[in-house]
Amino acid sequence: MQQPALRLVRLGRDRWLRRLQPEPCTEGGALLLCEPAGPVYTTGLRGGLTPEETARLWALGAEVRVTGRGGLATFHGPGQLLCHPVLDLRRFGLRLRMHVAALEACAVRLCELQGLQGARARPPPYTGVWLDERKICAIGVRCGRHITSHGLALNCSTDLTWFEHIVPCGLVGTGVTSLSKELQRHITVDEVMPPFLVAFKEIYKCTLISEDSPS
Amino acid sequence: MAIMRAVLCSLCAVPAPAAPCLLRAWQLGAGVIRTLCTGLALLSVCKFIEKHEWITTENGIGTVGISNFAQEALGDVVYCSLLEVGTKLNKQDEFGALESVKAASELYSPLSGEVPEINEALAENPGLVNKFYYEDGCGSCL
Repeated sequence: MQQPALRLVRLGRDRWLRRLQPEPCTEGGALLLCEPAGPVYTTGLRGGLTPEETARLWALGAEVRVTGRGGLATFHGPGQLLCHPVLDLRRFGLRLRMHVAALEACAVRLCELQGLQGARARPPPYTGVWLDERKICAIGVRCGRHITSHGLALNCSTDLTWFEHIVPCGLVGTGVTSLSKELQRHITVDEVMPPFLVAFKEIYKCTLISEDSPS
Repeated sequence: MAIMRAVLCSLCAVPAPAAPCLLRAWQLGAGVIRTLCTGLALLSVCKFIEKHEWITTENGIGTVGISNFAQEALGDVVYCSLLEVGTKLNKQDEFGALESVKAASELYSPLSGEVPEINEALAENPGLVNKFYYEDGCGSCL
């Protein structure tokens, strides 16, 4: 049987922000990729930020957006690889939990390909990919009528001080990290993109059709 | 074997030609298993909608919930949001969402109607959605 195909779509930050709306996504079959050009905090279905916290984040110069994804508050910004697979779970033979596990597996595999050992997924409520007690990749997805939206955020060279203004994913006492911090060298999103896409195709057993979008 | 149900909400059909039934509230208290020990004549149709949401109707009253397949696929439910009482819905409208950690799933109405009651227990204890669900072969009763 032919493998399913996803359109590979690279978005600038503004187009990516427009796609954070909580309305259900009815299209299927795209892999959205973005490295945000500026700081953005997002919250999930359960919220994650008080009005006071939101005002503080605005004062820092960040955008704050409400989404309908799972998970609480997190940060997105330059140096971070955002990957949002918009796919029909039925077409991929996946249940929602398997999709979450597959996203985690992509991040773990990417870490291994970059020479970083020890990255692992953890069970709820610690969904995501960790090095010890430091999270390197956050996950939050939404599914409506079998179509997924949102996805993962992998820290490549993210300025991690932005995370100090929130409790990331509501997990008090945990830390955040990045590929650059762990490997002690500057690792860009552009550098990790090709191996990340190789990992994605292997894990999701799909092909990717390139379709660059202008910012 | 008792039938257990994860009641999400009830739908009360507004008078409309497309609505096949009137709906009544059926609340599931936290920790309580509500058994359907009525005769088969009173036990009405249970329909599964694409293995995710089901609806039962009894004496023209309907109750909506999610199936074992769906609650297993979700994992432990940590959050449940439902529409307000009084909301009018069309078939296939979104009537709420569930979250198992990090994955939010939308819920769609299997028919048109008005929400007369929601299961308030789920707001306090969303894990109830995992504990109570329709067994396969709905309609059996002891």
